[in-house]
Amino acid sequence: MVNAGPVPPASPANGFSLLIAALLAGDHAAALAETRQLRALGVPPEQIVTAGLEVAMGRLDEKCTVEQFNLLEIMLVGRAVSVVVHELYPEGIQPEKGRATFVIATLEGDVHDLGKNIVRTVLLGKGFRVVDLGRDCPVDALAAAAEREQARAVLVSGLISTVVPQVRRVRAALRARGLDHVAVVAGGAALKQLAPADLDVDYVAETAFDGARYLENLLAAEEAAA
Amino acid sequence: MNGLERILAAVRFQPTDRVPFVPQLFGYAAIAAGFRLADYLHDGQLLAECQLRSRETLGSDAVFAFTDFSIEAEALGARLEYYDAQYPDIVVPVLQPQEDAGRLAPPDPASAGRLPQVLHAVGLMRAAVGESCCVAGAITGPMTLATQLYGTETALFIAVDDPERFERALDLATATALSFGAAQLAAGAHAMVVFDPAASPAVAPADFFRTRLQPRLARLVAGLRAAGAQIVWLNVAGPTAPILSLYAEIGVDIATFDYYVDAAAAQRLLPRTCLAGNLKSLDFLLPEAAPRIGAQASALIQAFSTRGGFILSSGCEIPPESAAAAVSALAHAAGAKAGTCRS
Repeated sequence: MVNAGPVPPASPANGFSLLIAALLAGDHAAALAETRQLRALGVPPEQIVTAGLEVAMGRLDEKCTVEQFNLLEIMLVGRAVSVVVHELYPEGIQPEKGRATFVIATLEGDVHDLGKNIVRTVLLGKGFRVVDLGRDCPVDALAAAAEREQARAVLVSGLISTVVPQVRRVRAALRARGLDHVAVVAGGAALKQLAPADLDVDYVAETAFDGARYLENLLAAEEAAA
Repeated sequence: MNGLERILAAVRFQPTDRVPFVPQLFGYAAIAAGFRLADYLHDGQLLAECQLRSRETLGSDAVFAFTDFSIEAEALGARLEYYDAQYPDIVVPVLQPQEDAGRLAPPDPASAGRLPQVLHAVGLMRAAVGESCCVAGAITGPMTLATQLYGTETALFIAVDDPERFERALDLATATALSFGAAQLAAGAHAMVVFDPAASPAVAPADFFRTRLQPRLARLVAGLRAAGAQIVWLNVAGPTAPILSLYAEIGVDIATFDYYVDAAAAQRLLPRTCLAGNLKSLDFLLPEAAPRIGAQASALIQAFSTRGGFILSSGCEIPPESAAAAVSALAHAAGAKAGTCRS
């Protein structure tokens, strides 16, 4: 990671370039400084998300093929994104300002939540609202949150094989609440070795960006059909 | 040929009577024998009995003294939570985020935590099989143990924000691995498997491996060899293509390649190193996958038939709760016969 270094922007356009560079460098201090400068220039938070965070995440997505995706670099970018999001929305992104709501969790029996945290950050960086239920989360709590939050999709991450039976219960738990329309996306080192049919989910994501792309395509298709 | 001879021949690229068959069966051995995983992980005698029974059933060429990736961290002071049918989790790491690994010394394998149980298991297995089968010891690699000292997320941030402090964590982890590995070799292990899942390029980029891990792994391998290891096996799962070629300089005898790397690429990247792999480990959960596993195993054997230097295995651990039919399909493809590994 290269230290992008905070350089005062002469204009919002220049400020966005510097913000994007800082985010991609994983330099959270520089990203925060650039965000504050943009705000000082009168740029609204929504524009910083769409023209800053989402552009940076898009470029990272292009770079992160399966071969090049690694936790360390994504975590550094994620930390920078989180710092910026917190600066813009100290009390969290409200539903009406986000694009859609997703509920995310690592299911009961698995306490490894690093991958889940990466996905949450990627989705936040793309402007979605994400309700994070943490790790070791019961399937019924996931379904209840999907209902309560009017989620469009639930995302489950699994590093270890013993969580597979829990993943297979998600669809039925949603159906029991009349949430057949809620998409189920799985990912993580263990789950991505299996096919959607093996897990009874709609999609198995190879990476966090792959999962985000699936969700974006899903929403785009619905908007086109509406 | 017996199991040990078969593996040694593969390491030397010499002909074998059949392909060496070394499935990564650890906790599976306990579950298949009807025991709780937590008991297996605490009791060296039970571990040895389950491993020997599993090998007798499948005709595999090695037994493993592997418990779990947290055993060294626990010996260093981490608190673990155990379960009946899955591996333990670290609930309290060894170090707080601001602490320095430089204040710690490697644990004593003869007395710390569960390490003595592993030494007991190695001794029992070696006494049971003698030279007829490979007794493989197991240690957690430097990157994995270093990240466990703090917890993975905290450790990776320290690696970037305070690289010198992370170097000290890596040094402690390397010293711990060498000490525990040497003790297992003294207890009778023929081979030492260095499990380092966090060294995968899926966790940190290949440059990180080259600059920070490769020198330590080379020192570790040299130290294990000096301590009597006949075979040193580096086992890193995931998309390892960017780092595989570096294993030759590290000096390992056997290199795991996972399903992300196809057989041709692995051979190109490590032309003179014995390769072990690369079946997808989660496939073994599915009984209906048995025919596919058999076909893939046969294709692998064929892919290495000219070159040699191959051990039929999975790219990562075969999960404890795997289907017996799927595991048997692998043994069948190797031509392994039950009960062929007694001394």
